[in-house]
Amino acid sequence: MTLNQALAIINARRQSGEGDVYYLACGFEPLHLGTLLKAHLLQRLPEQRNVDLHHGVYGDLRGNIDAAAQSPAIAAAVVLEWSDIDPRLGLRSAGGWSSEAKADIIRNCLQSYTHLETAIERLAARMPVAIAPPSLPLPPIGNTIRSQSSPLELELEQQLADCLLRLARLSGVRILHRQPLERPWLDAKMELLAGFPYTVPFADALASSLAGVLCQPAPKKGLITDLDDTLWSGLVGEVGVEGVSWSQERHTQAHGLYQQMLGHLASCGVLLAACSKNEMSTVETALARKDLFFNPESLFPICANWGPKSASIARILQTWNISADAVVFVDDNLMELEEVQRAYPGITCLRFPVKDAAAVWNLLGELRDLFGKPVLTEEDRLRQASIRASAQIQEMSENAASPEFLRTLQGTVTLDWGVDSSDKRPLDLINKTNQFNLNGLRIGEGEWNRTLGANETVLAVASYQDKFGPLGKVAVLLGSQHGATVKVSHWVMSCRAFSRRLEHHTLDALFQQSNAEEVEFDFQATERNQPLQEFFHSLGISAKTEGRCRISRSGFLERCGILPHQVSNLTNKLTPK
Amino acid sequence: MTNIKDRVTVCFSNVFPNIRPEEIPGASTTSLAAWDSVAHVTLLSSVAEEFGVDLEVEDFDDLVSYALIVDYLEKKSPNG
Repeated sequence: MTLNQALAIINARRQSGEGDVYYLACGFEPLHLGTLLKAHLLQRLPEQRNVDLHHGVYGDLRGNIDAAAQSPAIAAAVVLEWSDIDPRLGLRSAGGWSSEAKADIIRNCLQSYTHLETAIERLAARMPVAIAPPSLPLPPIGNTIRSQSSPLELELEQQLADCLLRLARLSGVRILHRQPLERPWLDAKMELLAGFPYTVPFADALASSLAGVLCQPAPKKGLITDLDDTLWSGLVGEVGVEGVSWSQERHTQAHGLYQQMLGHLASCGVLLAACSKNEMSTVETALARKDLFFNPESLFPICANWGPKSASIARILQTWNISADAVVFVDDNLMELEEVQRAYPGITCLRFPVKDAAAVWNLLGELRDLFGKPVLTEEDRLRQASIRASAQIQEMSENAASPEFLRTLQGTVTLDWGVDSSDKRPLDLINKTNQFNLNGLRIGEGEWNRTLGANETVLAVASYQDKFGPLGKVAVLLGSQHGATVKVSHWVMSCRAFSRRLEHHTLDALFQQSNAEEVEFDFQATERNQPLQEFFHSLGISAKTEGRCRISRSGFLERCGILPHQVSNLTNKLTPK
Repeated sequence: MTNIKDRVTVCFSNVFPNIRPEEIPGASTTSLAAWDSVAHVTLLSSVAEEFGVDLEVEDFDDLVSYALIVDYLEKKSPNG
């Protein structure tokens, strides 16, 4: 994006009214970086939304971070440069590079990092923070030629890496990768003239990365892979189980890399399934080979048959209970990809580029972007096991949802009424769940943190486990208490927890914990919240297309029926402040 | 030459979205309140990008009106 393109984008959105506030904290004049960041944020937001980008004063990064923490911003970008750590490492200082000065720089940097971390920790407690590590070169203060690292430079880099690692472990902090940014970076003339250190192309790359990290698309949840010439090289039905390969020796290592990527994705909680035109017995034998680079048990379900792949994918989606737009399908065959894409326009179809190692490497990077998320949670680890457990439950009983059957599961619902702003799982659930969702409304991290700080806030986070294992945190109810009424603004439940009457338990516990006589819901029908509408209908809650609807305590008790699980309340108060 | 004026006018409109088109030919740092130091750097960077020219530090001191910018670009152009 050029500077003029960015200005045109911003001006085209001028009439969109007030915008979401973002904060750009840097020690230099924001100038073109501010313009380009605003334009990149606008490109990632819906057309009716605007962006109001705030920034602080020149030369005071730490002060600007403090100001960001006090601002109404919903997210912040912090751009670090060496001169913010010690001014003598920038172009505009004349503090000298003597031996004594260099020793003092090392000491001063350590102190700066401590102060910086304290300020960023405060900021990250209020909103998500994207941090760009220094991009500009250090001044030529090494005793070596430029191609050789000097001990001084290495020590400064190590101090920086230590600081970034500590920051990366803070909830809400996202560190930008340094590698993808483009050269040339430094515009020495503009830095000395106007206090803005970057070339426009670099400022554009940096702004794009910052906006991308702050406004990440919802990660995909599942990957369905073809087998022949994708998971392995060769057609297993023709060359036999020992004939297919994925090794360096057979020059088919690209398939081995893909297998390792699947193993990595599985460890991050991504659902994996296989879809292949083959005999099931052949596939099972091939997947029993001990030299696979990932655990084949992470493939669930496995569909091997001679029917259309779209039919197999229908079965997989039903087992996973997620929609096609949360799924990626990988196959080497363009015809198969086309057939699946026609059946499921929302699915992301990617071709496995057989015999093109460079393209396979790019595919793995693309998969990282499609499935990447800011933080991994315990629920990510549990997801695969709970999908299997749900399938087992369905197989055990034709009427799996009956309370009598559910009682045999020995389930426990744990409701946590405490507010923990460092736990991002509840927010993650609100922003990813579509089916059991009160109104489809999403919440930004900044708004979330502010809501949790309010005295009247009611937050219930439900976890579930039964004899098949834990599902983790699977439901969130958010609202506020006003006397004898609890007003619920958000209520979501993961599709993994459907048919277990968790929603009945949650509402029952809400009445008990709040002593409320009435619960009011900020309901809105969406294209996909049919499960919630059916639940409301079963309780006699009159939910039209949108607006407030209510249920009284007596009305609920009359209709809720059997509650099959044990309930444990972790914090016996609604507002722990 | 008209082309240069049109393109400079677009740069002004981008940087000063509230300015009326008829005000642009007479715009200068003294006549336009929004033309502060930040807007100055943004405007001249926008012009430099649009015309592919590399402005010197002195140019930032000298190019303080629409007319001066157009004049500067006309002299720089191959037909100028």
